Amino acid sequence: MTAYLIRRLLTLVPVLAVVVTVVFLLIHLIPGDPVSVMLGPDATPAQIQATRQALGLDRPLHEQLFKFYARILRGDLGQSYFLDRPVVTALLERAEPTLVLTFAALLVAVVIGVPSGIIAAAYQGSLWDRALMLTSLLGVCVPGFWLSLNFIYLFAVRLGWLPAAGYASILADPVAALRYMVLPAVSLGFNQSALIARISRSCMLEALQQDYIRTARAKGVSQRSVMWVHAFRNALVPVVTVIGITMAILIGGAVVTEIVFNIPGLGRLIISAVLRRDYPVVQGVILVTATAYVLINLAVDVLYVFIDPRIRYG
Amino acid sequence: MSLKPYRRAVLLALASLALLGLNTLTAEAQKKGGALRVGILGEPPSLDVHWTTATITETLGNHIYEGLYTLDATNRPIPMLAESHSVSKDSLTYTFKLRQGVKFHNGKEMISEDVVASLARWGKQSVYGKALFAQVAEWKALDKYTVEMKLKEKSAIVLISLAVPNNFGAIYPKEIAEKFAPEVKATEFVGTGPFKLAEWKPDQHIRMVRFDEYRSRNEAPNGFGGGKTAYLDEIRWQPVPEVATRVAQVETGELDFADDLNLDAYDRLKKNPGLRPIVAKGNGWLVAVLNKKEGLMTNQKLRQAWQAAIDIEPIMKNVAGGHSEFYRMDSSLIMTEIAAWHTKLSGLPWNERNKEKARRLLQEAGYKKEPVRFMTTQEYKWMYDFALLTKQQLEDVGFTIDLQVVDWATLVKRRNNSKEYDAFTTGIGAIYDPAHVNFLTANWPGWTTDEDILKLQAEMAREIDPKKRMAMWEQQTRQVYEKVPMIRYGDLAGLRAIRNTTKGFDEKTQRVRFANVWVEK
Repeated sequence: MTAYLIRRLLTLVPVLAVVVTVVFLLIHLIPGDPVSVMLGPDATPAQIQATRQALGLDRPLHEQLFKFYARILRGDLGQSYFLDRPVVTALLERAEPTLVLTFAALLVAVVIGVPSGIIAAAYQGSLWDRALMLTSLLGVCVPGFWLSLNFIYLFAVRLGWLPAAGYASILADPVAALRYMVLPAVSLGFNQSALIARISRSCMLEALQQDYIRTARAKGVSQRSVMWVHAFRNALVPVVTVIGITMAILIGGAVVTEIVFNIPGLGRLIISAVLRRDYPVVQGVILVTATAYVLINLAVDVLYVFIDPRIRYG
Repeated sequence: MSLKPYRRAVLLALASLALLGLNTLTAEAQKKGGALRVGILGEPPSLDVHWTTATITETLGNHIYEGLYTLDATNRPIPMLAESHSVSKDSLTYTFKLRQGVKFHNGKEMISEDVVASLARWGKQSVYGKALFAQVAEWKALDKYTVEMKLKEKSAIVLISLAVPNNFGAIYPKEIAEKFAPEVKATEFVGTGPFKLAEWKPDQHIRMVRFDEYRSRNEAPNGFGGGKTAYLDEIRWQPVPEVATRVAQVETGELDFADDLNLDAYDRLKKNPGLRPIVAKGNGWLVAVLNKKEGLMTNQKLRQAWQAAIDIEPIMKNVAGGHSEFYRMDSSLIMTEIAAWHTKLSGLPWNERNKEKARRLLQEAGYKKEPVRFMTTQEYKWMYDFALLTKQQLEDVGFTIDLQVVDWATLVKRRNNSKEYDAFTTGIGAIYDPAHVNFLTANWPGWTTDEDILKLQAEMAREIDPKKRMAMWEQQTRQVYEKVPMIRYGDLAGLRAIRNTTKGFDEKTQRVRFANVWVEK
C-alpha cells in the first residue's frame, strides 16, 4: 500500500508539469492583455507599451515560460498583476469560502442524492421511483445560474428569509456564515445530488440483482438488512467515486455559484483572473485545482480498500 | 387685496419660524455615523488615479484624493486644493496659491513640493496630464504654498486639465509621487479627500473611513467641488460582478446603493417602495470607431456610407430595452450636460437613414462586398446589441459585416493593432473640453490622422478666447461629420438604485460621490 501511495504521488509531478505548461501556453496565446484592461479604455498605445515593459510582458514567450518554471521550482507562484499581492496569498484568502461551500454543497448533495437513489432502487418502477428520478433529471438539466437566481428572488427578495448574496467567515461569525451559505449550498448541492442519485440507483439495482442478494433473501434476511448490509455496501464503490469527483469539481471552484452569490472563493477568482488576463493567478488557481483533483482521486482509491476488502493495491 | 401691516408681520414671523424649523430638521437629519454599502460591478485595477483611466478607479479615487481644481455643477473648473490662481499678461505663466492647513491622510500638511511632484508624475502618465505637460516649459514651487507653471505657448486647457475627474491630477504626498515611477502603479494610497482607505480585501470590499481632519472648503457643495462633509463613518464598496445579484441586494437592503444596473431591472426597481431607481443621464454615447490607419475604412466614402445608412433611433430604443428615459438623440460630440461645449448645429449628416445615399457612396468607394471586421463584446450588453443591429442595417444597403464578438480584454488589446479590425464598439463618456477628444487624436485606437482635424485640435488647445474656441469647435464638429473618423450614435443613460434611507445624494453628477451623503436607519 505504501509503495502504491508513493508511486501515485510521484505521478503527480509529470501531471502537474504538463498542466502548468499547457495552462501557461493557453492563457498567453489567447488574445487579450492585462495591461490594456488595467490602464482602462482611454489609455494610449504608448502608455500600454511602457507598462508592459515594466511587467516584463514584452519579453519573448519562451523566456517568460522559463522564468515561470524557475519560480515554480522555488515554490513561488508569482505576483498578481491586479491584486498587488503574491498569488499564494490570494489563493489562501480564497480557500476558506471555497472549502466551506464545497463541503456544504457536498453534504446537501449526499443527503439528497444517496437516499433518493436507494429509495428509487428499492421501489423500482413505483411512483416514488419515477418522481425521484424525474426530480434528479431536473437537477441535472436545470442550469445552476437559473436555479441560483430563482432561489435569490424567492427566498431573499420575496420572502426575505435569507440574504441574497455575500459571505461571512465561519471562524468569525458561524451564524452569519450559515445564513449566507444556505442558498448557495442548496442550489449547488441540488444540482450535484442529481448525478449522485442516478448513480446510486443504478448501482443499487445492479447489486440487488446479484446472486448473493437472492441467497440472502432465500435465507430470510430482512429487507432492511438486505438493502443496507448487503446491497448498499457493494454498491458504494461507484457512488464514492462520483462523490469524490464531485468534490474535486467543487474544489476547483463552483464558478457560477460563487459569482451569483458573490462568494469570494477560488471560482470567482479564476473567472475574474481569466477576464482580466491576470496570468499568474490563472496559473496558480489551476495548479492548485489540478493538485487537489489528483489528491482527491488518490484518496478515493485508498477509500476503496476500506469499503471493499476484496480490493488490494500491490 | 393688501394685507394690514400687523398681519404681514405675523405672516413673516410664521414663515421665518417655518423656515427655521425646516433648517433645524435638515440639520438634525444630517447626522454623522453609519456605513454606506455600495454595490459596484468589479474590482478596480488600482487606486492610483494617475496610472489608469478605468472608470471604477475614477469613482473610488475621487473619494480619497483631490486635485488643484475640480468641476462645478455646470462642469466648469473651480478651485479645490488651490486657493486661487493668476495668469500673467502674456498668458504664459500660471501661478497657483494653495490652500493652507490641508492635511494628507498620513497627517502631513499638503504643500507645494507635494503638488509639484504629483503633477510631474501625472504629466508623464495620464492622458490629460500628458496633453497639458506637452505645453509646459517649467513647473516649480515658488514657496511653501505657491507653485508656478510656465508654458511654451498659450494654452486653453490648463484649468480644465487640472479639473477633469478621470485619470486626474490628484495630489499625493511627495514621497509617494516620487517613489512610484509614472508607468508603475502606486500601491500606497494617501490623499487629502474626505475619506481615507482603511482596508482593501479583493473581491470582498474596499472600506473607506471618514478622514476626521479633512479640511472642507467653505462654499456650498457644487458639482464635484465646494464644501464636502463626510457624514458617513465609512463607505463599503462591494464588488458584485453579477448584475442580477446587485439588483437583488439593493432590493433586499443588503446594499444601500447599486451602480451600473441593467436597464431591464428598471420596472422591477420602480415597484419597490424601499428604494428609488435613478436614470443617470450624461453617462455617455455609443460609438463605432473606424480604423483610419489600415484596411477598408481608410476609404472616406465607405465611412460616409456607414454614417448615411444607419437609423439610430430604433437601435437606441432597442439598446435601452424600450425605455425612452434611457436614450437621447443628439448629434453633439459633447453631451448636453457639459453646456459650455454642447452644439446644436443644423444640417449635419447625422441619423440620415438614407439608404440610397449609402448605396451610392458604396459604389463611389469601389466597395466589392469585402467583409468589414466589426469588433464588439458581450461583456457590455449595450455594445453587443448596437453592433448587432448596426450589422443588420448596414447589410441592408450592401455592406458585408464580419461581426467579431470577443471578450473585453481581447477587444482592448486588438483595437491597438491596426491590422486586426476595421471598426470597434465603445462608449464615449463626458468630454469636458474640445481639446480632450481622444478619438480626434492620432495616438488613440482608430488613429485620426486627418491633417485638418489635427490642426484644428492643436489650434483649439492654444486659443484662449472662449468665443473663438466655440466657433472652432463648431467647425470641428462639421469637419467630423464630413470626414467621419467614427460613427456617433445616441446618448445612453445608466441605471442606479438608491435605498430611501440614503440621503443627500446628488443625482446630477456623472459619477457618484458620497461626500455630503448620510444614512437614516
